[in-house]
Amino acid sequence: MSEPVLSAQGLRLRYPGGVQALRGVTLEVQPGEVLGIAGESGCGKSTLAGALIHLLGAGAEVTEGAVRLKGEDLTALPERRRRALRGREIAMVFQDPLTAFNPVLKIGAQLTDFQINAEGSTREKRARAAAMLAKVGLEPELAMARYPHELSGGMRQRAAIAAALLMRPNVLIADEPTTALDVTMEAQIIHLLRELQGEVGCAIVIVTHHLGVIAELCDRVAVMYAGEVVEVAPVDDLYHAPLHPYTKALLACDPAVLEANTGRLPTIGGRLPDLTDPPAGCAFAPRCPLASDICATPPPRVRPAPGREALCHKVAP
Amino acid sequence: MPSDASAPVARPEPEPGRERRAAGRALYRSSLRILLKDPMGAMGLILVLVFVAMALFAPWLAPYDPIKLDVMDKFQGPSWEHWAGTDQLGRDLLSRIIYGARTALGIALTSVGLAGLGGIVLGMIAGYGPRWLDAILVLIFDSVSSLPMIMLALAVITVIGPGTDTLILVVVTVSIPAYARLIRAQTLGLSSADFIVAERAMGASSVRILFKHLLPNVVGPLVILLSMDVPIIIMLEAGLSYLNLGVRPPIPSWGNILYDGYTSLRSAPHMVLFAGAPLVLSTLGFTFLGEGLRDALDPKLVKGGA
Amino acid sequence: MTSRDPLSSGQKYLGGVEAEPPPGPARAGPPSAGTPLLQMEDLQVDLPLGGLFSRAELNILAGITLDLPAGQTLGLVGESGSGKTTLARAILGLQSSTGSLAFEGRPLATSADFRAIRRRTALMFQDAAASLSPRMNVAEAVTEPLVIHKAMEGAKRRDKAAELLAEVGLPADMGARFPHELSGGQARRVGVARSLALKPALVIADEPTAGLDVSVQADILNLMADLKARHGLSYLIITHNLALIRHVADRIAVLYLGRLVETGPTARIFASPAHPYTKSLIAAEPKPDPRKRRVDLAIKGEIPGVLRRPRACAFHTRCPLVQDICRTEEPVLRTIAPGRQARCHLIDATN
Repeated sequence: MSEPVLSAQGLRLRYPGGVQALRGVTLEVQPGEVLGIAGESGCGKSTLAGALIHLLGAGAEVTEGAVRLKGEDLTALPERRRRALRGREIAMVFQDPLTAFNPVLKIGAQLTDFQINAEGSTREKRARAAAMLAKVGLEPELAMARYPHELSGGMRQRAAIAAALLMRPNVLIADEPTTALDVTMEAQIIHLLRELQGEVGCAIVIVTHHLGVIAELCDRVAVMYAGEVVEVAPVDDLYHAPLHPYTKALLACDPAVLEANTGRLPTIGGRLPDLTDPPAGCAFAPRCPLASDICATPPPRVRPAPGREALCHKVAP
Repeated sequence: MPSDASAPVARPEPEPGRERRAAGRALYRSSLRILLKDPMGAMGLILVLVFVAMALFAPWLAPYDPIKLDVMDKFQGPSWEHWAGTDQLGRDLLSRIIYGARTALGIALTSVGLAGLGGIVLGMIAGYGPRWLDAILVLIFDSVSSLPMIMLALAVITVIGPGTDTLILVVVTVSIPAYARLIRAQTLGLSSADFIVAERAMGASSVRILFKHLLPNVVGPLVILLSMDVPIIIMLEAGLSYLNLGVRPPIPSWGNILYDGYTSLRSAPHMVLFAGAPLVLSTLGFTFLGEGLRDALDPKLVKGGA
Repeated sequence: MTSRDPLSSGQKYLGGVEAEPPPGPARAGPPSAGTPLLQMEDLQVDLPLGGLFSRAELNILAGITLDLPAGQTLGLVGESGSGKTTLARAILGLQSSTGSLAFEGRPLATSADFRAIRRRTALMFQDAAASLSPRMNVAEAVTEPLVIHKAMEGAKRRDKAAELLAEVGLPADMGARFPHELSGGQARRVGVARSLALKPALVIADEPTAGLDVSVQADILNLMADLKARHGLSYLIITHNLALIRHVADRIAVLYLGRLVETGPTARIFASPAHPYTKSLIAAEPKPDPRKRRVDLAIKGEIPGVLRRPRACAFHTRCPLVQDICRTEEPVLRTIAPGRQARCHLIDATN
């Protein structure tokens, strides 16, 4: 594999109150790939998305590890330097794009403002904004003259993607980018991201709980549980030959995998461990059908094939 | 076992009635805790309690009869006998100030309370009732609140004469629209909230929805506003009494003490000082309390702070 | 009303067609069922556009004719803005409507009728936590319907709350919690418990699993299925989630901009959707299988607002198969197969 464009190394993050949201996350993003981060609420996937661009929640603190963007450790840089990297090297799209825009400025003005660090005249910047809006499927002149609230949810998400890609970053982080949208709009945003990824060539990290979105869009997938990455696999392997028992359980209980009305859906019994006092052994063991005594000890990170890894005692190396 | 059920908490099972009261208390207790944590809120609460105690226990706290004349001892400065000195008629100033708290708070709290009550009733009717009634009520609120309070006060006093009742009448009339509009806006916002629609879908009567579900959720902001308005009324009462248009002598009021003080400012400056201090302190107290309540009653902060 | 809306003269005529279907079962219920639990006939909702003296109205729903047989689950599918939530509210009389509605064979007309139906139905909200009064604890919330309908002695409230919570798999001590202290799945269960309090015949669930993780979603769906079996409930489930509705509904009705575009048995609609909109919706759903990736886009654009309802066929602006007739003539809801109806000019041609 080539040099990763972005990587997390042994990242640990703690929220006030002692919640250990990330517990040693190591993950690499290759240039130009689409990496999916899947998991249920509380697994730390959104925290990881924020940490990858060093936008941490209030009081959150990286206690260990590093986030390397083109060789620079984001966790150690001064905020001024991080700001310079954001937008140019790395950008983010949120679940609710309304919060990403200033409500009292028109879209055109904001997209021009976002290029504050770029060279060129205002006219050039406006032209660049218009070109990017056209690329995300919006009518540039129309969209630039609108206020954020005048756009529908889908159009706003397109505008947010345009804003994120304006400076042609190497990495785009998208946190639940389609969760607030209707199915038909979700499909269009997925389609758009796929197209743009081919065109702009940036790596995309998609964080979502929606397994269908990951399957449609990603090259590789990392599954998170209780603040850890429990499995990493190429997308086809993950859906057709999952290794970790949690991944298997998660895939099984998605009603979208069932073609007919079966009466009952499989579920995952039990609940998430308390992350203020995480267990020493495997965090999934209390809910795992395969668990045995050995699972009370920290699970090994098994790499049974190139590009595949699982955090589990029960996966044969 | 459902995946999201909480672990059972080991604690004695409370009685049904008590459980409910305890739950309600818990919500208010956390509000009180937030209020006391905020130094400004805590100071406001203490000041307000001091003045309320002064008003309630005036006969026991005041060393002298506030209207007993002792012309021999007039214009005395502070002394062991008269801590705050005496006024131009030899009345004990401290006693008059303590009784003045009774006048000030009596008027302010009564009028603010009545106006608040009127505001709640009219505001909820406007916010939850039929739209045509709302349109009429809003028109009335707007007309009344376009009258400046001091002008109205002067006009009413001219017609029916000065006095405590007049003051309360004016304040209540002028304050109701502001309170009613606040309650109306809150009610309108909440009447389409899911939990209110849920109540309607369950078949709850309008009376139940209004009093059981809307009222507790709309009074919070009003309480804050009322608390911030109390000092305005105190100042108004003092102002009108200073102009001899408010409380009639010899009833002690901070305003007429202040007036008496000004007329003899040269000979007895202590009167202005001692009558001004409670005005300033009570104003600060209620304002701080209002500011503190603003945070303490915010349910989102109760969540995070609890 | 008829004269104001150019479309409604067509609607009126349609109503006649629907009321007297050609031989064979054309109504949305199975042919064998007795009186359906819930019957809607040409239901229409218009909202006032505002203003004290303005009488202008905005048409939200029209020509909704649907039956829900007792013991069945009817899925109401559509994008946001299709009017599905408005329909749910119209059924309970929370939203005024015209046309006719009947529950358990009795017509609903007066507010007393609707009060009566509210005792026999329950509404589950999309945002379960927001549907609970913020200053009521869980025990009070779940027993609220009993208090409203004076169906319980005060002293039994705590026992009843524990019983209802047990029914949805929550421990009794959850009763002392407040809504903001609940997780998404817990709030949803509390919502289910409250809807069971009066032993309803019909539960209307608006996006019952929106915003839940897949494992919690599966828990809630299983719970709803168990309760249906145990109490003989009927469900009207409103959702845009096709994976969910395919799993739980006996029949589905697809709404687009306030019009029914297709109704029929779930399995058959998914196997061979008739209306182009239904086809696009099914195709748009992301499949959790990378080998089934869609290469082209099933549907473009978004649902137009009700203020800008396209003339003739409302779907023609997005329809991949659009013909001239779709832009000029409003299609009618026709029976296309036993138990199946669709509103499209092209169905004879495409089938």
